[in-house]
Amino acid sequence: MGRSNTRVIFLVAAVALILVLISLGQYGSSSAGISYVREGYYVFEKVVTAPFTFMANLWKDYVLLVDTHRDNKQLSKQVAEMRVQCMTLEELRSENERLRAMLDFKDVHKAFKLYPASLLTQDITLVFKTAIIDRGSRSGFFINMPVVNPLGVVGRVIAASPHTSQVLLITDPNSAIPAIIESSRVKGIVKGTGSNILSLEYVRMDDEVQVGDCVITSGLLGIFPKGLKIGYVQEVRKDERKIFAEVLVKPCVAMEKIEGVFGIGRDVAITD
Amino acid sequence: MWRLQTSLFGILFVIILMEATVIPSIWAPLRVDFFIGMIIAQIIYIPFSQGLPFVVLATLILQAFSGARLGLIPLLYIAAFLAMDVIKNLVYLENSYSQMVLGACFALALSLIAAFLTDIAALEGTVFPMIVGAVFSGLVSPAMVYIVCRLQIAYEQ
Repeated sequence: MGRSNTRVIFLVAAVALILVLISLGQYGSSSAGISYVREGYYVFEKVVTAPFTFMANLWKDYVLLVDTHRDNKQLSKQVAEMRVQCMTLEELRSENERLRAMLDFKDVHKAFKLYPASLLTQDITLVFKTAIIDRGSRSGFFINMPVVNPLGVVGRVIAASPHTSQVLLITDPNSAIPAIIESSRVKGIVKGTGSNILSLEYVRMDDEVQVGDCVITSGLLGIFPKGLKIGYVQEVRKDERKIFAEVLVKPCVAMEKIEGVFGIGRDVAITD
Repeated sequence: MWRLQTSLFGILFVIILMEATVIPSIWAPLRVDFFIGMIIAQIIYIPFSQGLPFVVLATLILQAFSGARLGLIPLLYIAAFLAMDVIKNLVYLENSYSQMVLGACFALALSLIAAFLTDIAALEGTVFPMIVGAVFSGLVSPAMVYIVCRLQIAYEQ
């Protein structure tokens, strides 16, 4: 009887704890306790991986230098070619600037202030798509900070502790980004599906959407700067009984391959 | 008791390293659930009054490494713990094959329930890695049970 009572007490306590947690909100994972857990794991991961990193660097920096001389020659040749190309591009850039000035074109894409970070862990579940990166509030990361890589949008920060940040990837079912199709300027919301395909929603049946169209951020809501690449339209399904077309978008960034990312700082023009 | 619990939490961090860093770096969509094996071990070797608090605290730590709604991860694993507590009266849990089958089934069931509670479409394209993950979860479960068993024996002596 006593054993049974203990079980009931423990169960009631566990259920009460869960109800309290659920009532805290969807992304309460920035709470102090959970931040400390991530901080602890950050230290643990660094300590555990340090010998492996050391060995990998040793291998990479010394053992794999056999072909370096040949590579050096090739690269020197490439650098020379690039220098010539750069001179041509420099000329084109200055010409472009002159033309813009003549058209009084306002440059909305000011230089992004980028904060580099590396991937620490991925989500422990298969359903949710989040990642933890090795930079946090001390490195300038903050909640809702857009995270990108050179190919396009990766996601946004949903929790930040001093040395780590949790990033909600654009493929997560909870992710939604205001977007436009670059060529036709059709607006919609890009939502994650949990798989490697995104869904562009609220696109009307009569809107002009073609397979291969580039989808970029619209800058609405003020989280993502305007004009960042999200992906390309992969498929358009139109059903006359529905109001909106079903548009599938392939993200520019292969989420399973991301290693290095950049957070975009606050001093960026984000309005539409 | 405290030494055992401390060791178990140490193992939990190694589990997180494997689940969230090492295995995804080998194959990104693969998730192997090492924790199910620990739950089975808790049911077999640890009293309920110590097992349940460990599962609650451990799952709160696991929650920090997931984008799931706060409370969902503890909810799923506590449900698994309770289900396992019932199953122990029906199945001989000390048997390694039982542990393998239960580990695989529970890992699969937890993924499906998480998807069902969030967005079932999230499973599109991930069925194969999910099944492979469940198989591996089943395979590692007896190992996790063995580790907890050895710890428990070591601290009892």
